[in-house]
Amino acid sequence: MREVSERALDAASAAGASYADCRVINRTVQKLTVKNGVVASVELIEDEGVGIRVIADSAWGFAAVDLLDAAAVEDAARHAVRIARASARANRVAVRLAPAPVVTGEYRTPVVSDPFAVSLEDKVDLLLRTDAAMALVPQVRIRECSLEFVREQRHFANSEGSVTDQTIIESGGGLDATATSDDEVQTRSFPNSFGRHQVCAGWEAIEGFDLPGNAGRIAEEAVALLTADPCPDGTMTVILDATQAALQVHESCGHPTELDRVLGHEAAYAGMSFLTPDLLGTFRYGSEHVTITADSTRALGLGTFGWDDEGVAAQRSVLVDQGLFTGYLSSRETAAAIGRLSNGTMRADGWARLPIIRMTNINLEAGDSSLEEMIATTEHGVYLETNRSWSIDDRRLNFQFGTQNGWEIVDGKRTRLVRNPIYSGQTPEFWRSCDAVAGPSEWNMFGVVNCGKGQPSQLMHVGHGAAPCRFRNVRVEPAR
Amino acid sequence: MSTTELLALGGRALALVEHGDAEVTIVDDHSELTRFAGNEIHQSVAERSRWVRVRLVHDGRCGVGEVRGHGERAVAQAIAAAEESRRVTTEPDASPLPVPGGEPEGPVAYAAATAAATPQDRVDRVSIVTGAASGHGLEAYGALSTTTTTTAIVSSTGTRRAAASTQASLVTVVRGADGGGYASRHSADVDALDVNDLATEVVETCERNQNATAVDPGDYEVVLAPYAVTDMLEHLGWVGFSALATQEHRSFMKLGERLMNERVTIRDDAAAPEVFPFPFDYEGVSTRPVTLIDHGVCTGVVYDTPTALRDGVVSTGHSLPQPNTWGPLARHMVMDAGDTPWRDLVASVDRGLYVTRFWYVRDVHPLRTVITGMTREGTFLIEKGKITRPVKDLRFTQSIVGALDAVVGVSRERRLELGEGASGVLAPWLQIGRFTFTS
Repeated sequence: MREVSERALDAASAAGASYADCRVINRTVQKLTVKNGVVASVELIEDEGVGIRVIADSAWGFAAVDLLDAAAVEDAARHAVRIARASARANRVAVRLAPAPVVTGEYRTPVVSDPFAVSLEDKVDLLLRTDAAMALVPQVRIRECSLEFVREQRHFANSEGSVTDQTIIESGGGLDATATSDDEVQTRSFPNSFGRHQVCAGWEAIEGFDLPGNAGRIAEEAVALLTADPCPDGTMTVILDATQAALQVHESCGHPTELDRVLGHEAAYAGMSFLTPDLLGTFRYGSEHVTITADSTRALGLGTFGWDDEGVAAQRSVLVDQGLFTGYLSSRETAAAIGRLSNGTMRADGWARLPIIRMTNINLEAGDSSLEEMIATTEHGVYLETNRSWSIDDRRLNFQFGTQNGWEIVDGKRTRLVRNPIYSGQTPEFWRSCDAVAGPSEWNMFGVVNCGKGQPSQLMHVGHGAAPCRFRNVRVEPAR
Repeated sequence: MSTTELLALGGRALALVEHGDAEVTIVDDHSELTRFAGNEIHQSVAERSRWVRVRLVHDGRCGVGEVRGHGERAVAQAIAAAEESRRVTTEPDASPLPVPGGEPEGPVAYAAATAAATPQDRVDRVSIVTGAASGHGLEAYGALSTTTTTTAIVSSTGTRRAAASTQASLVTVVRGADGGGYASRHSADVDALDVNDLATEVVETCERNQNATAVDPGDYEVVLAPYAVTDMLEHLGWVGFSALATQEHRSFMKLGERLMNERVTIRDDAAAPEVFPFPFDYEGVSTRPVTLIDHGVCTGVVYDTPTALRDGVVSTGHSLPQPNTWGPLARHMVMDAGDTPWRDLVASVDRGLYVTRFWYVRDVHPLRTVITGMTREGTFLIEKGKITRPVKDLRFTQSIVGALDAVVGVSRERRLELGEGASGVLAPWLQIGRFTFTS
């Protein structure tokens, strides 16, 4: 990989680039799916290539190719420079990068048990046992469970002298049980929705999920939802489970703190942000219970690494400090625009994509309450579990989420199961209404594996640590 | 590589397979995209890659190997991976590879100008948009992409299909001090993109959409532009137009029943010249036209080989890469035009809303086709047949089938739009009697 990056940087420099960086990435993926008792697919995927980013004539260019021979790499580097020069002829503003230290080193995700050393047979066996446990609940029409493992070797080098080598390991798994009747379809998922729960860890994470041990319970919950009462309608207290809290953080804090959105780089696609620079340090984003960090050093997170894709070291930044908006996710270019240094959040979805600002691990820090205490001190409300639908406007203010499960709370007790719950609100008002966050013992790291952004589209794996949390005076209704 | 060369490579790959049936899919992709923000080009990228996917079926067991990169070694690596994955498949339940029926080749969307487009070609077109915006004191944002994809699928059961296709897409937002506009154009031929027309539209929408004021949420009569209609049709495709969805009892489709207004006819037509025509699916099966909704009546769903075998019918050629758990997908949807100019639809609304586009549309209850999302970059109040003023964006939560049952007018003009899932949809403007905005 080192030879490839040196060749790319030399070729870019010879073609006239004033700055260049290069990512050589080899990604190995295993995907296994069992559906309704049958091994539906076992896919083994290899992906390798190089992406070269340059500044020439004060504009950006980027070219990527899946061949690592000298001719292909040098041609890609020269093409990146051609692209930059074509853009430069139309631009008035020169690209400016905030300084960053020159770095060298290696990083590897700490794992107890290498998931790629576990046989495919053992993985299939785990899924079949999970499926069999769901099959004991006959009203479940669709049973699906899956595992995914990723090993990514990322070599980075830039023309300033930085060189890093990283090996990132991800392990994920999950199950979905879907029950149907003539007029209803209900799905329950475990440990999270969107197919799986994924973390930067080894096979030990999959064992910890205990998919077979939870499959029967989840299947029974799917069936119970078919005949559950509709969610109550009104303004009430909402308690979110940790998985839904994680997605709430993702959509209403993670995305609006991306500085490229704030500066308009995503205006035509992902949108912009209500968190404009004039609000930095003064805007009350949430209540004093709300502290949100970007932390790429946190164990297990899908945004945990040694350096980002600009060679900036992993770090912890406080985005919201006891309710006060204090920071952005930034890159070297966007940080320069507001007179700061990058806090290391540039990430590329593989070798073929340009690094852009992405969430690392955006965490709602633990509080001092507990789910039990929150329920016990709620007069009337709902406890909502596991995301089902999500939508938010292009400035990240007006949101609506649906969850798979709801439990009505009356006089401090969890009472009846309710179906099709939806809650909605405006981001700052919602977070300002947060009056409790559970403590460290109920705080867990979750992964979002389908975070879309950028053109061409990039899907990023990001992490969110969260715990159950409570919000007052929230609009709740059933999906009609 | 040319289609001939890819077919030859696929043939050599088949020769390496020792046991059972094999399907080899090879996709060469050359994509370039120039992105702009604030009237400046801030990202411009190019990618060349090859994707090799091998599906092996032997003794009823299936394995899949997929390789991108690795040059000439890719084919052998993909075969080895497929054999490894097939080895651990426990149940002999794999769908067999389809046997070709000898159908004639259909049309393919391809234009040499798109395949040959240079970075400077894209900059020149982008500059038309940024120039129009800056000329009005506005800022343009967006992306122009040019893509050439060469696909070859060969199998030991006789499939031998190949096609080279192109796509050019220009998506723009123009923003002023207090509001923005949106417009897009898509074509196989980059030279056929009417950039000046797009620039005029997006600037006009932006200038009209300044200083919007709020209206109360609630039920409104609406006129939806094709950009918004596309999102609704694409979601119908995901949740209901697939044979797997009907087989699993999670689709709204009730074949033979009228669920929508008789003005509504929706087809999937991969040969329609306006919708990026492409002749075959990911199994190499010819894609046949399917009438999904005929004058409001549910008439058909799309099939791949596994779902067709289950229902005892022939695949309609709508397969995604096999095997998969998602089922077939309608990717060339066309909604029939009406006979009313879209401006006359607006003129017939006493009080309602004109919606340029939707944003972040998600399924709330797939069986009931309930979706939620926001309006964005161009929502206007219609009063006594005229667009009178911009209104702040609203959230809607609405059944798609319910909305299409409440259609009172379909425009004679249609636009090709790409949905969030990149499906091409040819959609008209729709006048809908009642549409629910929730916040």
